[in-house]
Amino acid sequence: MKGVAILKKKWFVHVCVLLLVVVLAACSSSNNGTSENTPNASNSSNQGGTPSESSTTDEQIELRMTWWGGQERHDRTLEVIEMYEAKNPNVKIVAEYSGFDGYFDKLTTQFAAGNAPDIIQYGGNLNDFVARGVVLPLDEYVGGALDLSKHDQSMIDAATMDGKLYGVTLGSNGWGVLVNKTAFEQAGVPLPSPEWTWEEFEQAAIQITENVEGMYGTADFEEDGFGIFLAQRGKVVHENGKLGFNDQDVKDWFQMWDGFRNSGAAVIPEIQAAATQTPEQSLIVKGDVAMQLIASNQYGAYSNATEDQFALYLPPNNSDTGENGASLRPSQFLSGYAETEHPEEVAKFLAFFTNDLDATAVLGNDRGAPVNSEVRENLISNASEIDEVIFSYIQTVSQTSDAPYVPNLPGYNETQALFKRAAEKIAFGEASVEDATNEYWTEVQKVMEKYEQ
Amino acid sequence: MQMAKRRNRAAGNHAWIAYLFLLPWLIGFFGLVLGPMISSLYLSFTQYNLLQPPQWTGWSNYEGLLQDSNFRDAVQVTLTYVFISVPTQLIAALLVALLLNRGLRGLGIYRTVYYIPSLLGGSVAIALLWKNLFGMNGIVNDFLSFFGVEGRGWVTHPDYALYTLIILATWQFGASMVIFLAGLKQIPQELYEAAAVDGAGKFRQLRMISLPLLTPVIFFNLVIELIKTMQSFTSSYIVSEGTGGPINSTLFYTLYLYQRGFSYFEMGYASAMAWLLVLGLGAMTAVLFLTSRYWVHYEDGGKL
Repeated sequence: MKGVAILKKKWFVHVCVLLLVVVLAACSSSNNGTSENTPNASNSSNQGGTPSESSTTDEQIELRMTWWGGQERHDRTLEVIEMYEAKNPNVKIVAEYSGFDGYFDKLTTQFAAGNAPDIIQYGGNLNDFVARGVVLPLDEYVGGALDLSKHDQSMIDAATMDGKLYGVTLGSNGWGVLVNKTAFEQAGVPLPSPEWTWEEFEQAAIQITENVEGMYGTADFEEDGFGIFLAQRGKVVHENGKLGFNDQDVKDWFQMWDGFRNSGAAVIPEIQAAATQTPEQSLIVKGDVAMQLIASNQYGAYSNATEDQFALYLPPNNSDTGENGASLRPSQFLSGYAETEHPEEVAKFLAFFTNDLDATAVLGNDRGAPVNSEVRENLISNASEIDEVIFSYIQTVSQTSDAPYVPNLPGYNETQALFKRAAEKIAFGEASVEDATNEYWTEVQKVMEKYEQ
Repeated sequence: MQMAKRRNRAAGNHAWIAYLFLLPWLIGFFGLVLGPMISSLYLSFTQYNLLQPPQWTGWSNYEGLLQDSNFRDAVQVTLTYVFISVPTQLIAALLVALLLNRGLRGLGIYRTVYYIPSLLGGSVAIALLWKNLFGMNGIVNDFLSFFGVEGRGWVTHPDYALYTLIILATWQFGASMVIFLAGLKQIPQELYEAAAVDGAGKFRQLRMISLPLLTPVIFFNLVIELIKTMQSFTSSYIVSEGTGGPINSTLFYTLYLYQRGFSYFEMGYASAMAWLLVLGLGAMTAVLFLTSRYWVHYEDGGKL
């Protein structure tokens, strides 16, 4: 009996240990699997290799790609990934996509853990990540795997920092005022003229608030609008690591919006506080406001989210300078991870994503007007009604404004939060324009100092 | 003698097996709890942006906290939240538990129904639901307008947003309630019978028997809820879209910690905040334990 009991125990223990070993071995063997690929992949770097060439090698490569967006962007991007995989059977692309909320938080965590995706979509905050050394410089692939010959120079420049290229620009767009035409018509308010001033903008907004039950004239333009406001004064948000504006500019901006709220032009703060980045849940789509500042590439997403008819207006002019302050800006960038095991393959995919006529036809305008001139012409010739609005808007911006493109302030998340809090303090009556401006001004300078180091 | 030795050896074998079975937990404890805690203690004395190696900066993170107005807001918001929602939640839990303890038919169903919010309450979906219920055009305002009351943006106005979250927290009283219910069931029926014979009414029975004998359970719930509530995150993160707004009115401590660490790339600062939270929680729990000897009555007199 006793012997049996011990045997039983031992047998049991052995099984446990065996199981443990198997589990641990399984964990480590999957690691081996990926690291075995590494040397081969880096050896096979053939400058100027085209996708079809690389498909002849049967070595399997897995790339991870991440982006943010709405459902429409997800569908289009996934389709392009499938097209790429069909043309390059040795490459498998794992898609990791989400909405905008939390996207960069997750990405930062992945960088810290050293397991970020190989291909990453950035916005105006690309500079924040380049500064931290996690973005792959692409210069050695330009002209080879990555053909930029037909890309607009200004958009190549936008992705170039300290003389190095850190990504391909996915599209160019401009800020514009989305106007709910249907709401104007129903309220019997005449549509404003396309060359309007802030004063005319305010008058139109007041009429909407007065004539439409439950709708306000305009949403707050927030920090993005402030950038336009500065450009109208011939200033920039920042340049060479220094702020390009002073506290008076901030005060004037907050003062103007305080006036808009008092006159009934702008939405009340309780509703403004519910504003989101997601087109489907935005104030203008929900019918809370009739006007809102959007990026032109989002025009399609907003239009498709509602039955109402929209129009895209230039930002209201500064009546003193006559400038509208709009500028063409890169919408997003697609870049590589500095630690990727397959930099050449990343470059090839970036080229496909921006140059291939079939792929870009699927992607359309969703990330802004394509920066490759050949692709753009192809899209214009097949443009839908919505695409035409976007293209003609981009055209108008480039003809009516020479405001330069300015990337986000360094420490975008933090400075944006500061601006929002100051605006909310004024709107909810917790601070005067003067006090809120002073507080913002002190804090924003602290952040600038921090990022200078 | 020999018997004892053999037994010891057997016990030794048993211990070995015990550790083997504890291994998953031990790996988790050292790898996922203790290790990160120690490294965060180190990081709290550094400047660490997550992407480049940390740099030693001594006490500067802790000094920075003293001058940080957002930090003060976060502490104030969190303490307000804790000091209101923990008592309201426990009172609600106790009242419902007392009701359910009256020998209702279908007790199991009620118990489950009231427990469900505790299971769901911390989830993203419920926070989103709450946001819409209490939004400007939400059901709550529709209901109020029925009585001619003009509603507000309950989650988007700085004066009300935190209290809406407190209601959300109070609503999740189920876990405490189930524990209270179990505690009430343990109280011997004879005590009530004896009291009834002596002419004590229901309320007097509650005050003199139920509550005193329930104090250990109340104490347990209080400590658990305090610790849980201090670390609230999800509701504010979802309702305010990660901003803690409007104007910091829902800036929970952990949300601000998260912003500092993951949005502003200041993991050192965030680690310092985490350690202050640990110390703060430790101190509050210690105070509760110290006061407990004056109001918590154990059946065995509290001897161990």
